Amino acid sequence: MANTMREATLKTLGLGTVLDIFRNGKLPATAGGLVDRVFGKAGSRGSLVVSGANGIVGAGKSMQLGSRLRPFDVPVVALDFPGTPDGIGMQYPGLVRGFGREQAGRIMENVISLRYDGTHLPERLNGYKPRFLLEAIPEVLDIKKKHYKLFRSSYPKIDIRSVTSGFPSSQLGVGIAHPAFPHEINKIWEIVESKPSPGTQLFWALGMIPIPVSDDWSFVLDVLFCGLMAAGTRYHEASNMPYWKMDKYIRKHLGPNPFRAHDVIGAKGANFLTWSCLHHCGKNYGAVFEPTRELVERKESGQNWYPMNHFRPLVDWSLEGEEEEEFKTWILGPLYQMTSLLLREKRSHLSHMNAIGELCAQFRHGILAAIRRLGADTVLDLVKRYHKLHPEAAKKSWYPDVFGTIEGADWQQLYVNAEHDGNAGVITISRESYNSDVDAELNRAIDWLKGEGIERVILTGDFHLSTQMIGADTSEFYAGLNDSKAGLKVAKSWSQTARRLHDEFKVSVGFVNGKRCLGGLLELLTHCHYMVALEDAELGLPEVTLPVVPGMEGCHWPFRKTDAKKWPKLFELLLTGRPFKAKETVGWLADYAGPMDKAIQKTWKIVTGGAHGLKMRKVKTGPLKGLPKSVRGMKSPDDPALEATRKAIVDNVRESCGATLAEALDIQSKHAAGFMTGPLCRKGRIGAEYTKTIVV
Amino acid sequence: MKKGNPMFSRARIPYGTWGSSFFPAWQMSPLAQVNIAQFAGEAANYIFNKRKVPKNTLDYLIIGSTVPWHWKFWTAPLVSSLLGHRLPGYHMEQACATGLQATVLAGMEVQSGANDVVGVLTFDRTSDSPVGVFPERRAYERTFALSDVWDNFGFDPATGNAMITTAGIAARKHKLDRREVDECAFYRYKQYFETLESGFLDRLLFPFELLNVQGRPLGKVDSDAGVRQVTLGGLRGMHELDTCVTSGTQTHASDGMATLLVTSKAKVKELSTRPEIDIQFIAKAEVRTGPSLMPEAPTLAVQKLLGRTGFTMDDIAVVKNHNPFAVNDVIFSRVMNYDWHNMNKTGCPLVWGHPQGPTLTRALIEGLEEAVDLGGGHVLMFGCAAGDVGIAAILKVS
Repeated sequence: MANTMREATLKTLGLGTVLDIFRNGKLPATAGGLVDRVFGKAGSRGSLVVSGANGIVGAGKSMQLGSRLRPFDVPVVALDFPGTPDGIGMQYPGLVRGFGREQAGRIMENVISLRYDGTHLPERLNGYKPRFLLEAIPEVLDIKKKHYKLFRSSYPKIDIRSVTSGFPSSQLGVGIAHPAFPHEINKIWEIVESKPSPGTQLFWALGMIPIPVSDDWSFVLDVLFCGLMAAGTRYHEASNMPYWKMDKYIRKHLGPNPFRAHDVIGAKGANFLTWSCLHHCGKNYGAVFEPTRELVERKESGQNWYPMNHFRPLVDWSLEGEEEEEFKTWILGPLYQMTSLLLREKRSHLSHMNAIGELCAQFRHGILAAIRRLGADTVLDLVKRYHKLHPEAAKKSWYPDVFGTIEGADWQQLYVNAEHDGNAGVITISRESYNSDVDAELNRAIDWLKGEGIERVILTGDFHLSTQMIGADTSEFYAGLNDSKAGLKVAKSWSQTARRLHDEFKVSVGFVNGKRCLGGLLELLTHCHYMVALEDAELGLPEVTLPVVPGMEGCHWPFRKTDAKKWPKLFELLLTGRPFKAKETVGWLADYAGPMDKAIQKTWKIVTGGAHGLKMRKVKTGPLKGLPKSVRGMKSPDDPALEATRKAIVDNVRESCGATLAEALDIQSKHAAGFMTGPLCRKGRIGAEYTKTIVV
Repeated sequence: MKKGNPMFSRARIPYGTWGSSFFPAWQMSPLAQVNIAQFAGEAANYIFNKRKVPKNTLDYLIIGSTVPWHWKFWTAPLVSSLLGHRLPGYHMEQACATGLQATVLAGMEVQSGANDVVGVLTFDRTSDSPVGVFPERRAYERTFALSDVWDNFGFDPATGNAMITTAGIAARKHKLDRREVDECAFYRYKQYFETLESGFLDRLLFPFELLNVQGRPLGKVDSDAGVRQVTLGGLRGMHELDTCVTSGTQTHASDGMATLLVTSKAKVKELSTRPEIDIQFIAKAEVRTGPSLMPEAPTLAVQKLLGRTGFTMDDIAVVKNHNPFAVNDVIFSRVMNYDWHNMNKTGCPLVWGHPQGPTLTRALIEGLEEAVDLGGGHVLMFGCAAGDVGIAAILKVS
């Protein structure tokens, strides 16, 4: 019997829980097995057909799926009208960049381009035995329906998914797999189907992120992103503020720059899709969604939102005092109202709803996490103020009651979940970068497990939304650039959380289940008594390249667990920023590295006290002796900033390792915070990001 | 055009929807480096934001400028697109009369019922003016190269004289005394700096921060850069360039923009933050004086205007003129028997500069604000323009 803080997102795909993975010693499904189910067994394997394959979505998805299905000999048939521009060919340079020329050539070999007139399917298609149709044709309902009919009349058993940007499945009569931009690389798909299908599970097994959503008009991403456009253009009409400047303020307060994104995607198509989404939502959900005059005009003209190069903005704009508050009201008010609709309609698992904004729309904080930070009362007040500015919006689709459950586990554990079976627990993190939301949720998860009497725990990714662990969310350091107390608070409190993994459990295992584990998240996992990783996962501390000084105990904790002979490796890790393959780090960073199933099994054995054959590397609590005064053998960087950063890191290592474990927490936090307020950090990537994002 | 009968019964200038940039002297601000039409469009949009006027309420735009700018061919639709709302409209120019004339033309648009909300957007960049090359094979030189600002200032092709020469000729005709002209100029500076100190100009002048093509700060336009305190002794000691004309008693080239709206009486309520203030067009007149007597032309225009309307100077609450030379004011004073101390109370182009297109627009805005402070009254606007022309108009603030 498993207990869980809230439902595992993996379960929404019909793939069980993360705890099940460890208990079963393997992943719940494999790509090979699912390919057999979706496309038939080898020898009689059918094809994936992408219709509208030369469009932005069709071409991108042909490449993404083509590269993933090629090892399984599933051909991708790219179908489109004669005379459409060669969208597939335009993908080739990107493939070369991603895979190298040879691999790119092989992927392209597997993409078969066929043309048809829209009313008759080409006879040659029969030879490829179509099994799965991904429809990416224009957003006209009648045309889409005829298209499905055409395919079903020739291939009655074909599985069809539409990439539609807004029609519900009930209108289309087929399931939906709605992808997020940029289509070549974004792994998110919003899925509408009555129950998780093998096709959806195959997407997961191929390393993508399918997210089940309800069957309503438009999708979570589109409601948020198109909704942001509606809010933005409405504020523009009220204030005259140019779109380029609005983007800067939206980026400051929320994260994305939606107008620029439309231009980058291609304003002609993107404007139409945004209008289409808002038009349908407006009809169904009222004025908060209705497209503005500006949007209607640009839907027709396809005009860019940013001025042309020869008229790059000349007069700067600034918002002062109450003006910025009014801006926030115009932008955030409708977004929160729209979110109330998403919640009311139970569009998805809350973690999904929250993650979509971050993973697909550049939201700095997921929409629900942002609301949670503000608190329900503040949000209600903000929407109330928005309704004063836009009274029509108040008439429909505003559900303030949905925020009444904000204290529940679904809301409180958006990024971190915990499960246990009465003996061992698993804490999963679904966010690729560590921030204060994750930190707070992790603490709550630890509290919950301890409250449940669990002393053995695995800390890992969620096997769904998070496919890697890239470290600390650097936007969390912005406050620390100007205020050493703020930097100190981050470094110290996060380190204290990390120590709980070591101090408060009998056995803890950090499991790196994705492509990489870097920076703060690696520091976090090293606090576990054991660390297990996929053998090819990259482990690294890239802080020196930013530059920052590691402040989650990376400058002393691994040294305390490792024989002095291996310290040069740790210095290399810290001072070059270069990651190591996990299998290269066994014994001085990881305790075990292996292929997925073996690593899962090893982790379970460790946490349950089975015969795992590993010796726990204990953390030395006293001052360490024998640390070198300088690091020899390190190439001279010929870069004063890098040299100074390395010195700061070495100073941190020496002082924090030279102290007791108890003292080291404060010492290393002060080093990290002190460096953050210095000129190197400000001139580096974090300072540049801060200036670009916050100093508007 | 009789006293009491406004020339446009329908048209109004909505109070407080206007604004202007500062007018930095040529080469003294980032404006010297930009496409001034782009600046004007974007600055007007910013001003309308601060004035709470949604740009989409405009339905027509009249732009006014005198120095050619890049892509001038595209006139008002281009400038309005830079304002963020592409509109029909046209470009007009009448040298330094541009601002007042454009406002009157906007009044006509509204009066005729053709449009309800007409923007007037005037601007000029005298810094680094373009050089035009005019192939004229019939002429001796076959091809003329003309630096738009300075070559035009220096030569009226109809009379052969420079602008500055007209001031000297007019001063001699009216037997002006250099000492009085210096005193008048000194007083004008005093008026300007007292106004600046009072904060009055904050109501109409907007500071701007400009960006380079990388989006980084290029500089600020936040003062009438180049205007310096003068002393009477200093003015008296200046070298006379022509009769009664020194560098201290003539204006200087500058860059800038100014904008206002003209609308129907009904629309004022929507646009103005103080719709109870009513600003009407009463009358307008223009004259052309004798060759090379430009500084007296505005006086003659005022005479004509008063003669046609029946107004006297006693009916006027605010007197404001475009005075590239202090000579202009002294001639006006002498001919109209009106004390020059009582005019241009908040500053004037003699002091804050001469970007031509927007000069009389800013002067008009200042005049209207001054009248509002007085609780209303008639505002007499006038000024000279290239071609020995004078323009004058009366507006009523109530």
